[in-house]
Amino acid sequence: MPPSLPIGSDVLRALALTLAVATPLAAADLPDSLFPTNFGGAYALTDHHGAIRTEADPDGHLQLIFFGYANCEAICTVALPIMSEVSASLSDQGIQTTPLVITVDPTRDTVETMGPALASYAPGLTGLTGSEADLAEVRALFHVERTALFEEPLGGTVYTHGSHIYVMDGAGGFLTLLPPILSTERMVEIVAGYAQSLP
Amino acid sequence: MRHILFIAALALPQAGLAASGERIQVTGEVIDTWCYFSGVMGPTDAVVGSAHHTCALWCSAGGIPVGLLTEEGTVYMVLKMEADPASAGGDTNLHIASHTITADGMAYERDGLNYLIVETITADQDIVEQTHDDFGVIPGFAIPEEAAQ
Repeated sequence: MPPSLPIGSDVLRALALTLAVATPLAAADLPDSLFPTNFGGAYALTDHHGAIRTEADPDGHLQLIFFGYANCEAICTVALPIMSEVSASLSDQGIQTTPLVITVDPTRDTVETMGPALASYAPGLTGLTGSEADLAEVRALFHVERTALFEEPLGGTVYTHGSHIYVMDGAGGFLTLLPPILSTERMVEIVAGYAQSLP
Repeated sequence: MRHILFIAALALPQAGLAASGERIQVTGEVIDTWCYFSGVMGPTDAVVGSAHHTCALWCSAGGIPVGLLTEEGTVYMVLKMEADPASAGGDTNLHIASHTITADGMAYERDGLNYLIVETITADQDIVEQTHDDFGVIPGFAIPEEAAQ
């Protein structure tokens, strides 16, 4: 695990919860005044063990969901190991979670290949794959975009894709999302807060 | 990228469900939130503006969410830029990386963070902060040696 970095006062200021710097406008024309919560829905994909997995966790655990791909050398190499760490830290607190990565690259991320690839740098994660059409539908449920950037010289497409981690309850309902720039400790705090608020 | 760690912790966790938003008009720089909060590329004033433009492009293309840094130092995590306000895909916004823009949209507080859904970019001043005068290129390898000569 990499070392922690100090929090600079300028960063603290930047994160301070003040909206005073912005100018409120009269409410007009914007359709949704609430934080967007319309993420998730019914789906059925195949996990890297070959089992069908739906939006509901079989054990009723909280779920951490990320969209990425095992060969990604950018944000996935950060977010997926952090999900492993967050899940392990929460487990230490008695909060069980299921960290899932839904592939955006079903050509390379198959039932056979996803498990070993994830285990190499993000142990404990379960990979989900499916047809290109099924995966596109799931991305739409979570409002995740995926764009092919270029073809690698040695083969394979490099994608850019949404990178938030979605925190879902055991039934697949949306709780919150986590920007991947948060520290492991901060993510654990946030998820634990939601876990404690559930009945 | 895995060697980088970041810290963005402040407020106590809150199970803030469907927090109400506020429509705002706000001006700030579109920043690379990873390098800004991690400190891995240097102090915050070195990872904004022209000095960090290339890296900001890389990070955005690599999936790092962009933020909007106001002159007063507040950072809004941008959920969506000029699109469906109910979406939150973490779009890349390469064409405005490091630009100072004025945005009209909805601001939210959730889990101790500020979020912004930009409905409209009402002004784009291009790159305003000429930080390369003080810092050069951050990181230095953003420009290959042969190209820099």
